[in-house]
Amino acid sequence: MLAAVCLTGGLLSASLVRFSPGYGVDEQELDSRLSQASVEAIRNSHRMNGGLLSYYGHYLAGAMHGDLGSSQWLQRPISSLIKERFPLTAKSALLGVSLAWLVALMISLAGVFFRGFYFDVSTTLLSGVLIALPAAVVAIFSVYLRAPVFVAIAVVLFPKLFRYLRNLLNHAYCQPYILAARGRGISQSRILFHHVLPLVSPALSALLGVSLAVAFGAAIPIEALCDSPGVGQLAWQAALNRDLPLIMNLTLLVTLITVGANMLANVVHERAL
Amino acid sequence: MNAVKLRVICAVVLCVIFVVGLFAGTVSPYPYAKQFRERPNAAPSSTHLLGTDSLGRDLFARLIYGTRVSLLLAPTAALLATLLAGILGGFAGFVGGWCEKVILAAADLSMALPLLFVLLALRAVLPLDISPVLSVIATFTLLGLLGWPSSLRVVWAATKNLRNSDFLLLARATGCGRSRIVVRHLFPNLRPVLFAQFWISIPVFVLTEATLSMLGLGVIEPLPSWGNLLRGLEDISAVSANPWRLTPLVLLILVVICFQLILPAQEETA
Repeated sequence: MLAAVCLTGGLLSASLVRFSPGYGVDEQELDSRLSQASVEAIRNSHRMNGGLLSYYGHYLAGAMHGDLGSSQWLQRPISSLIKERFPLTAKSALLGVSLAWLVALMISLAGVFFRGFYFDVSTTLLSGVLIALPAAVVAIFSVYLRAPVFVAIAVVLFPKLFRYLRNLLNHAYCQPYILAARGRGISQSRILFHHVLPLVSPALSALLGVSLAVAFGAAIPIEALCDSPGVGQLAWQAALNRDLPLIMNLTLLVTLITVGANMLANVVHERAL
Repeated sequence: MNAVKLRVICAVVLCVIFVVGLFAGTVSPYPYAKQFRERPNAAPSSTHLLGTDSLGRDLFARLIYGTRVSLLLAPTAALLATLLAGILGGFAGFVGGWCEKVILAAADLSMALPLLFVLLALRAVLPLDISPVLSVIATFTLLGLLGWPSSLRVVWAATKNLRNSDFLLLARATGCGRSRIVVRHLFPNLRPVLFAQFWISIPVFVLTEATLSMLGLGVIEPLPSWGNLLRGLEDISAVSANPWRLTPLVLLILVVICFQLILPAQEETA
């Protein structure tokens, strides 16, 4: 699956870059100080990667050796840009995902244990309002409140996780064997860890990959508006500067992380079984 | 208040906002781009119900026109995405075999791609200095063309269930042709599913457009949309001095919540 995503995603990226308007045109050709031979050499270097398959072949060969090409806008190797910027985004995304999961699980469990009209209404209202906020607005509010980037990512992720977790847990607690366990006076913690969590763990593990995808998606507006120099801000700047090779490599990177997280979740789930 | 009453209220609110957006030209006191240069950042008054922005444009007029752009084009994009999902998912579920495998693999691959990254990439292919109307068309067409994979899975599963149902078996046994089965039996039973998917997609597209426009990659000024109206929130001093600048945000939250509260009714019918 990972290899298929790599190859297909790479081909799509290569097609987009190869057929984008302005491909193969280098503004250096307009430099009056260059001789005709130099201009011709620049043109020849572009012609070498002329066709889509040839371009894709060169891209794949380079990628095997860690060379993802150069950013047209920053005139720097893309791999070094990713190396510089990715750790910050990865840290923010992982912290954001962890915080969102922790808060969503705690509130969902509190909702199950202390059922009540006001609790239900207030949590539904909170998640409803948060889910209706675009990620960019959350970013602006986090700038107002001077909150770290990972908190903003957690705020974007929390309502989606909370609604899903609450429904899952409510459904699990309605199962006849859990009602029977409650009737027998088995403690809440034992019911939770021995009966409910094993039942909902496949759905929870499936959510992990989705959480990461949402977190990295939210990182674009949040990092752009919070001025955090991560991959999300880089993708936004690349889009504004029409730097397609850079943005396509970043898209491919995030896709691989999402697919990798999904596969890891599947492996963990299979081992648990 | 019971759920039905709540849904009716939400439907009425949405209808009112939708009608106001539809007749923006009549309801709005001024054109959206008209500047009152002597009154920039004016407070709400009888002449400017929500005041003016830093360029002296009437915020109420811009909000109404922005509502038209966001609320009329998001359903159009949702319709496009649902149509794609319906055609591909229905075909995959009904025909099966290698077609099904190819379409599902394409959907899985598309779902693995982060939507916002792909939208940025595709938006970057287009020139940034296009006309405002073209920017609206480009934004919502991209949303429609990229929003189909999750709906496809649902439509495919529903079609597969229907394909194995008794009434379709009976129809086949009585010699019904494929086209008649699709038109008379399959499509009417898929309609609630398609409608639910269409309804789910609208708030998603409204929010995505808002994020794209706030990043300067969606609807381009001077044409207003909820997204580029929300860009006014970036100026914290203006917002704290003029809290009515939050009106587009309040309207956006209200609309998305209304869509969500109506949604269970659609899911039940589906």
